[in-house]
Amino acid sequence: MAAQEEDREARKVQYPLDPSSYQILGEIGVGVSAIVYKALCLPMNSSVVAIKAIDLDQSRADFDNVRREATTMSLLSHPNILNAHCSFLVDRRLWVVMPFMSAGSLQSIITSSFSDGLTESCIAVVLKDILNALSYLHDQGHLHRDIKAGNILIDSNGSVKLADFGVSASIYESNAARGWYTMSSASSLMLTDFTGTPYWMAPEVIHSHNGYGFKADIWSFGITALELAHGRPPLSHLPLSKSLLLKITKRFRFSDYEKHKKDKQKKKKFSKAFKDMVALCLDQDPTKRPTAGKLLKHPFFKNSKGSDFLVKNVLQGLPSVEERFILQSMINKNGHDDEDDDVEDGQNVKHRRISGWNFNEDGFELDPVFPTESKEPSNAKQVRFGGETFIRNKGGESGESSPSSTGHIREENQVDIHGENASVQNRDSNPSSSGKVGAHCEAASVQDRGSEPSGSNPKLSGQIEEDAKVQVGTQCECSSVQDRGVEPGGSNPSSLGQVEVGIDRESMLRNLLLLTKSLDEQKKKVVDLIVLLGGEEVAELSRDDQMVQLIEKLKMDLEFEKKKNFELEMELEFLRLQIHGPPSLETSLQN
Amino acid sequence: MKGLFKPKPRTPVDVVRQTRDLLMFADRMSDTREGKREDKMLELSKNIREMKSILYGNSESEPVSEACAQLTQEFFRENTLRLLIRCLPKLNLETRKDATQVVANLQRQQVHSKLIASDYLEANIDLMDTLISGYENTEMALHYGAMLRECIRHQSVARYVLESAHMKKFFDYIQLPNFDIAADAAATFKELLTRHKSTVAEFLSKNYDWFFEEYNSKLLESTNYITRRQAVKLLGDMLLDRSNSAVMTRYVSSRDNLRILMNLLRESSKSIQIEAFHVFKLFAANQNKPADIVSILVANRSKLLRLFANFKTDKEDEQFEADKAQVVKEIAALEPKERT
Repeated sequence: MAAQEEDREARKVQYPLDPSSYQILGEIGVGVSAIVYKALCLPMNSSVVAIKAIDLDQSRADFDNVRREATTMSLLSHPNILNAHCSFLVDRRLWVVMPFMSAGSLQSIITSSFSDGLTESCIAVVLKDILNALSYLHDQGHLHRDIKAGNILIDSNGSVKLADFGVSASIYESNAARGWYTMSSASSLMLTDFTGTPYWMAPEVIHSHNGYGFKADIWSFGITALELAHGRPPLSHLPLSKSLLLKITKRFRFSDYEKHKKDKQKKKKFSKAFKDMVALCLDQDPTKRPTAGKLLKHPFFKNSKGSDFLVKNVLQGLPSVEERFILQSMINKNGHDDEDDDVEDGQNVKHRRISGWNFNEDGFELDPVFPTESKEPSNAKQVRFGGETFIRNKGGESGESSPSSTGHIREENQVDIHGENASVQNRDSNPSSSGKVGAHCEAASVQDRGSEPSGSNPKLSGQIEEDAKVQVGTQCECSSVQDRGVEPGGSNPSSLGQVEVGIDRESMLRNLLLLTKSLDEQKKKVVDLIVLLGGEEVAELSRDDQMVQLIEKLKMDLEFEKKKNFELEMELEFLRLQIHGPPSLETSLQN
Repeated sequence: MKGLFKPKPRTPVDVVRQTRDLLMFADRMSDTREGKREDKMLELSKNIREMKSILYGNSESEPVSEACAQLTQEFFRENTLRLLIRCLPKLNLETRKDATQVVANLQRQQVHSKLIASDYLEANIDLMDTLISGYENTEMALHYGAMLRECIRHQSVARYVLESAHMKKFFDYIQLPNFDIAADAAATFKELLTRHKSTVAEFLSKNYDWFFEEYNSKLLESTNYITRRQAVKLLGDMLLDRSNSAVMTRYVSSRDNLRILMNLLRESSKSIQIEAFHVFKLFAANQNKPADIVSILVANRSKLLRLFANFKTDKEDEQFEADKAQVVKEIAALEPKERT
């Protein structure tokens, strides 16, 4: 109960900075490069804490990002934000000691006990607290960038805290001293993909890696509202892009996925105030979304109850975090999914090709929008929002004005900014990528809504239909094939892995290889066209492209390396004969 | 015409002046009554926040350059920065953060296309001493650290810090047990040693002996994983910078340095190995290798070649592969030199 007060006090109290002061009780979350433990802090009357142990060697993150996260976190102080008591290094791991939030994340609570979502009154309590946190963060110039139920933690007393600043970024800071570490270079952070998790991601984030402002957090907030209401993020029943698909297959079993689809038919009833509030957040145009401060005044939050209400209506009878973790890890035995998204498996999140979502207020759901040429104008508008992250840009400019900074750095700064714009434009005007998503759309038999495919590339879409035909198969087969379809460089090992689950592997593979080839040819043509039109730097075509090339190259490298290895081995033998046994490093240095 | 309804629209100059008055009050605070003090501190917080919103803009409006210029000019006209730094520990957390952001922004404000912050700091360079020693104070470290990093954007200020006795302390600061503070100090250290090329080159040449002795023993051979990893990365950044070529040549002619780098190459951490390679390659590529360097490389030739055979980056890196091939070629072609 005293956790909250304790927490505020924590700023003054210095928690011990050595691992021996903590007694680990057990794991409560696992991610790719981090583990979250429940532990006792022995010198502090054995108070309970959570320790996030991040493997710094495994997460190849730029150290500057790790540093930034640590500093950001330790300077935040708000009752609805989870901050660290302290952090210190234990060999290669960074231990971040945090208050233990005994009820765990809302996502895990929903998964275990409220699969159809929470009641509106509960949602209001939670969201109000989150808005308070957001309003504070935004006032400070910070973005959270990964708002979702998995990052909302609840304590036994019903207090709600926003957690995981693994992806948060400061607008003030990015324009500041670290000229050459602008956000674009920080695109891969240690735990989560820098821009968050696809379901919750705002359209402008998907379109550009850099044009990210406060309003993108508001979008994610709206998605989170839907997540709490429906028990899962919107669109989780749709096979979207590869990343989303992976996400679904990981989080929900495929059989669930079918079930969810049916669930959607019997819709829940929601109040007008709630629908209106969510609709405001999910406006396609970021400038029209309200700020966190404004949202707090929305009627939906007017009669919001206190934390006691959560204790009575949500927390009672809930299995403990540990129990839920064990249960979840049993279910996910083969996967690496964690019980709450505290520790996010951001690796799958890197590809993203959904253009965005139109919020359907009546259905209280999101309808997907796939990028097509005709969609461009509105995309362009959203992208421009990147420029609207005014503080950053502005600062960037004035940052450059420092005459004492050396030309070299200034140059790099500018290049970065240009790079932003260039890549943004590229993304939008890149027919190959939109074609790809189109393919997807086709395959998933989702209506390409509202946007007449500009038909600028009939060949390509023809190709895509073929694609779809290949995919007739079992449900789960379908998923792997789609992977292929999306990523014409079918050699992606992860998708290979999935194909193995399939039935007729051989014919499938053959088809896929053919497909890959023809898609590649198509893409080449498109690239040529782009070049012809004097357009963009082809080098920055799309990430998928680069991935494909990378994989090809890697394969060749592997071959090459094997060969070379062999040769070197031979050479070694030879050398061994010449020199009579190689002296060890140390001994050789003695003389 | 907001002014019609609000009795007194405060100009940026007013805000700075009032802030300064309140800071002076806060500075000699002990002799006032409790209640009055709280009011004043509250007002001070508001003023600092207002300065921030003038400089950065807020959710409703973008910053106005004219207002920023006025504020900057007034701020540096008198000793406001000194007062602010001195009083920072007396402010609450939020106000400290606001103040830090204000100071950061002011470093970049131009008045009549001049950075007056730079002139001010040159005349008040002792302020750096206060900021640097902030790393020894857990509570103030991150605030002073952030201000410090902004101040060393000015070349003259960076030169002062580099040449001061403080420079030695950074070797300890970056290994402080509090990770966030250590990391902040590391960021400043890196900034000092990479930002202003000519100054850095001059500093490294003049202070070569003690600096690299400390660097090797305290950082590259530290028992702390992250210290080694950061240090070898920064070393690479420094040595590979063209402006530091003289220092680089000197560094890669020392067998002690080679020994350290070879040990780093053998680390189990891939990240460290890769960074170490980027320094090691300089030893191998040096066309005027001293005899003792050659003999070490020859003596370890087979081990090195074996190591490089299985050595690759996670992501494809053409440059890395090319470098590696070059290094392998160099080492394979080495002939033991006659020692003369």
